[in-house]
Amino acid sequence: MIGPMRLPLINWMAPPADAPRAPFLRLSTLWIQITGTWCNLECVHCINASGPADPWLKPVSPEVVRRAIREAEDLGVKEIYFTGGEPFLHAEMLALLGDALEVAPTTVLTNGTLIDEAMADGLAALARRASYSLEVRVSLDDTDPETNDRVRGAGSFSKAVAAIVRLNDRGLLPIVTATEIARAAHAGEGMYERFRGFLMARGIEKPRVKIMPVFALGRLGREGDPRLTEADLAGFDRGLLQCSESRVVGDGGVYACPILAGLPGARLTEGTLKESFADAPLYHPACVTCVQTGMTCKNG
Amino acid sequence: MRADGDDVQERIAEYRRIAVFGGVYSNAPALEAMLADARGRDVEAVFCLGDMGGFGPHPDRVFPLLREAGVLAIQGNYDESLALGKTDCGCGYTDPRDNHFARISYEYTFAKTSMENKRWLGGLPAHRRLRLGTRRVLMSHGSPRVINEFLWESATPTGLLKRFLREGAADVLLCTHTGIKWHRALPDGTHAVNVGVIGRPENDGSSNVWYTVLTAGPDLSVEFIPVHYDYETLARQMEQEGLPPEFAETVRTGWWTTCLENLPSQERSRGKF
Repeated sequence: MIGPMRLPLINWMAPPADAPRAPFLRLSTLWIQITGTWCNLECVHCINASGPADPWLKPVSPEVVRRAIREAEDLGVKEIYFTGGEPFLHAEMLALLGDALEVAPTTVLTNGTLIDEAMADGLAALARRASYSLEVRVSLDDTDPETNDRVRGAGSFSKAVAAIVRLNDRGLLPIVTATEIARAAHAGEGMYERFRGFLMARGIEKPRVKIMPVFALGRLGREGDPRLTEADLAGFDRGLLQCSESRVVGDGGVYACPILAGLPGARLTEGTLKESFADAPLYHPACVTCVQTGMTCKNG
Repeated sequence: MRADGDDVQERIAEYRRIAVFGGVYSNAPALEAMLADARGRDVEAVFCLGDMGGFGPHPDRVFPLLREAGVLAIQGNYDESLALGKTDCGCGYTDPRDNHFARISYEYTFAKTSMENKRWLGGLPAHRRLRLGTRRVLMSHGSPRVINEFLWESATPTGLLKRFLREGAADVLLCTHTGIKWHRALPDGTHAVNVGVIGRPENDGSSNVWYTVLTAGPDLSVEFIPVHYDYETLARQMEQEGLPPEFAETVRTGWWTTCLENLPSQERSRGKF
């Protein structure tokens, strides 16, 4: 194991025995943590502190991915998602996307910086062949280049926007995903409408925008961040939490939550998907955000 | 179990040919046209998979039509919300623009639906089962497991449909909720059919709406039937009632202008917006 040194200590804590738990209802969503925390960017708010050097979570082998897809198909999965890190750093990303699309609608979450003309062509060819929808979610944190690049790194804005346009030109209708980290830079202005307007001004006639909250984890996690108690969840329907119907295959096993994947405390099993079908501990400060905002990492 | 150990079979009605529709969305002119069309097609019964209100004007106008025609209905998410007095339609949107229009539509429909009709909606079953020849049919609004689950053609895996059919002990699954029809014959001889909706055109640039006729036989016959109706009158009524101009535009043009963000990329790419 590469080790926890680059992460705040809180991410490595074990779930306390009295942590509230989320029921497991069904496997609707399979997530593949394909590149672990290996990324070509190093965003200040990254939920799992991904970056180019010494990723603390390793990529997953193609064999593990294919086995998970086959098992998920048998279990009646509805959607498959690939995330990382940056998925397009994985040498077999296109082939694995094709395997997933044989089974279910599939989404890939990307920073867009590696989607050049050839990759956009490859994705368009995959989408044309598939019976199920291929969705590409490109992260962008602001419509202003400087504000975006302060969060995501120099040059990331122009590359991501170029990818969005390339995908759109090929009929792929990318979903632009933004966190609320830069909301303060545009006080009083609707973030959603601002992104829609930005995309339409670039000739994107069917703009798709997803807004995500910022989580207190990864590089933003701090010791002492609040955690859930049973009292916090009185009257709350835990079946609404995405961990009640999602499972994540990543290095080291199967996890309940896409953004906690890789953390030892969030691991449900080192075995199969089916062996992970059990209540999940709501032990992490990130769980507070899910409960309070009702957010989901899914497309809709 | 009976004393002799045999299972007691529930009496399930058996049909040869049925008409099935979904999503009325307060479109009384389309409902009237559809019922008249179905009467000419030798069907033994007409079924509605729910969502009587929303989107259109004068919600109370559809209920007498449904009752007089003896339509056998199940409950949609809109019906459930109206009956329970919920504050939103439970359509399952997550996008701010979609939710904005959904809120306008629901508040209008809630205010204009009588208590008697809300009670009627509250008494509808969540599912229906019947036999079509030898085939066991399961009807649901969204999916058999969740009333507002979207089953789009390009986003519903065959593996999931197999699971629904196996767990529901059915050979044919009928659903609606998305607003766009489709039919998939599975390799094992079972079927899944989204019967479409009659309240709103299906985002293909045509003003007509769709319902479905199913006929028993060695091969199940699934026919999607276009319904042409007086959409201009409906659009004018929507405007007179102060409903969003985007709704009337959809009725006139056949292109969806709202509730677009739940569409998977394949379905979204076929539309105009």
